[in-house]
Amino acid sequence: MNGWTGNILRVNLSTKTHKKETFTEEFAHKWVGGRGFAVKTLYDELKPGIDPLGPENKFIVALGPISGIPAPNTGKAVVAAKSPLTGFYGDGNLGTRAAEHLRKAGYDMLIVEGKADRPTMLYIEDDKVEFLPADEVWGKGTYACNDWIYSKYGKGIGVLNIGQGGENLNRFAVVRSLEGRAGGRPGIGAVMGSKLLKAIVVKGTRPIPQADPAAMKALGSGDLKKVGQIDKQTGWSIQSTTGVLPFCNEVAGLPVRNFRKTHHPLAWQVDGERCNNARVATYGCPTCTMRCGITVHDKEGHESELDYENVALLGPNLEIFELAQMASLNYLCDEYGLDTMSAGCTLSFYADAIDHGAVDGDFKFGDAERAKELLRLAALREGKVGNLLAEGSRRMARTFGHNSEAYAMQVKGLEVAAYNCKFIPGQALSFGVAPIGAHHREAWIITFEIRHTTRESYGPEKAAKVIELQRIRGGLFEFIVSCRFPWIENGWPLENYPKYFNVVTGLNWNLDDMWRVGDRIYSMIKLHFLREFPQADREDDYPPRIWFDPSNADTEGPIAGKYLDLEKYDGMLQHYYDQRGYDRRGIPTKATLHALGLDDEAAAVRPYADLTD
Amino acid sequence: MKVQVKVIGPLIYKAGFSEKDFDLDPSTTVNDLVEMIGIPAERPRIVTRNGKAVLPEDRIEDGDKIAVSPIYSGG
Ligand code: SF4
Repeated sequence: MNGWTGNILRVNLSTKTHKKETFTEEFAHKWVGGRGFAVKTLYDELKPGIDPLGPENKFIVALGPISGIPAPNTGKAVVAAKSPLTGFYGDGNLGTRAAEHLRKAGYDMLIVEGKADRPTMLYIEDDKVEFLPADEVWGKGTYACNDWIYSKYGKGIGVLNIGQGGENLNRFAVVRSLEGRAGGRPGIGAVMGSKLLKAIVVKGTRPIPQADPAAMKALGSGDLKKVGQIDKQTGWSIQSTTGVLPFCNEVAGLPVRNFRKTHHPLAWQVDGERCNNARVATYGCPTCTMRCGITVHDKEGHESELDYENVALLGPNLEIFELAQMASLNYLCDEYGLDTMSAGCTLSFYADAIDHGAVDGDFKFGDAERAKELLRLAALREGKVGNLLAEGSRRMARTFGHNSEAYAMQVKGLEVAAYNCKFIPGQALSFGVAPIGAHHREAWIITFEIRHTTRESYGPEKAAKVIELQRIRGGLFEFIVSCRFPWIENGWPLENYPKYFNVVTGLNWNLDDMWRVGDRIYSMIKLHFLREFPQADREDDYPPRIWFDPSNADTEGPIAGKYLDLEKYDGMLQHYYDQRGYDRRGIPTKATLHALGLDDEAAAVRPYADLTD
Repeated sequence: MKVQVKVIGPLIYKAGFSEKDFDLDPSTTVNDLVEMIGIPAERPRIVTRNGKAVLPEDRIEDGDKIAVSPIYSGG
């Protein structure tokens, strides 16, 4: 089977055993890799209702057929588990040398089961698997842990690790790698922590099976150069993702003050130009010629790697406009291994809830020093406040009551990424129907909405655009496992990706074949959701209720007096369901599942919930 | 007529500024302005007026706040 190693490494931390398993060609063709492998495996192997932080949960690292192959931006891995934040399937991707090393060690997927009896570092070198003590770095941050690993094995090794956030089961703890890379927003780092798994170190020394390695090498390395040249022309990586901040500010789409405001006159202080001017280093993922990690010094002098989401949610969203202070919060999230987006939204929710009298507390918007302390408490689960914050905004809101869930900025428990959709209906839909919760990865249609249709529209064209982008961003790039930035920001043609896939696998797929796999994956995430939450309904696909509240409308600026219309949103949601072949609850119908070859998976729902014909 | 122009992202390195006030001829269109500030014609962009998208042929008006941005795709 070319293009895949055909192997899964299954490790059990309780019994300190491991097994090399094989998978079939049918499995490879149906799920391809990355998110596809993870979603199918967790569906088959996890019993609904298990505790995500218990030993029954499984932590997965999944690669795709082009992972580790020299081609544009392939140094990425998908990490997945049942999410402690949202209660169903959760995943994320991150740049890591572990992607290439795992493949070279001979595996397309790593499944970690059970729970270690002491802090453990899993060491994988080809067929060798060792369970090494990690007590020395337990309680330490991700940078110190990385340095400890590098001092033992050198910098070329593949590393995945967690910080104190994951160790202490903070529900939005992430998995970390390299200097600034993080993935697994819905608490996948806490799943590692629950297993006392501090780090995974991988070294692979074997070639990855490919149909035509020479052709792939020539094609991939040539294309890597071309992508670098295009980036030089466009200049995208000068400001990288941080460049979008002034755009959001101009069009009233920036999260300010827990999303209550959509723009701010001081936002320029943390925009892409200022971030680039403050740059002291540039970090990036392996196999990338448009490295996007702008690194600046934070207030305390640490190197802090920024991107737009971090800047907006830890800066303007907390009404912090001093770049170095915002960078400090970002550094702390990275050091503790916390998701910067959920951290930003959780802190902003806390300040807002205090402001609105839902809870007593001493945190105010703009107070960077207190925000730093709160991140520490949240990461360590220290005291009442630390334990509260570590639960994420939805659980906090349910504790506070007073209708505060309306302004807990989350969907399905996952905090909203840094786009304020107070009056951007299509992007609100994109967050609403993002299958794992309000992630920006799945679809981003703001420019489309503003440029090619009217902002006021709730029409089927917006639902269609969301689906088109979901297939590419949440589908293709997540199962082939590659960074989407060459395509989304530098216009690198999408057709190149089936080309790489075909050269490594020897198959002859086109983009339509890819969309089908993507649709299968999205349906499967929905089935995960339904099995865990049999009462699932379309309201689960609504964005935060504050966006529908007339009293929350802007009083000045481009969207003064505007807010989302609930009835019209619901109509647009129905367009999405109709186009996707989902029922009125937002669950794929039996016919849709059948057309995607998912009859067995549909049958596995039956003990828990019903499907519509 | 007086117009405020804001350039966003890497386009500022083409235009040579990120914010500037201009005194323009009343017949100036969006396209004229974009060309005038040195953004290459082939470069995809979105132009907004007071936060709302405008078309290339639209006339600029006195007091406009114009922003010229690359087509971002949202991280
Ligand atoms: S563009 Fe950024 S996220 Fe993508 S591979 Fe390069 S460094 Fe990583």
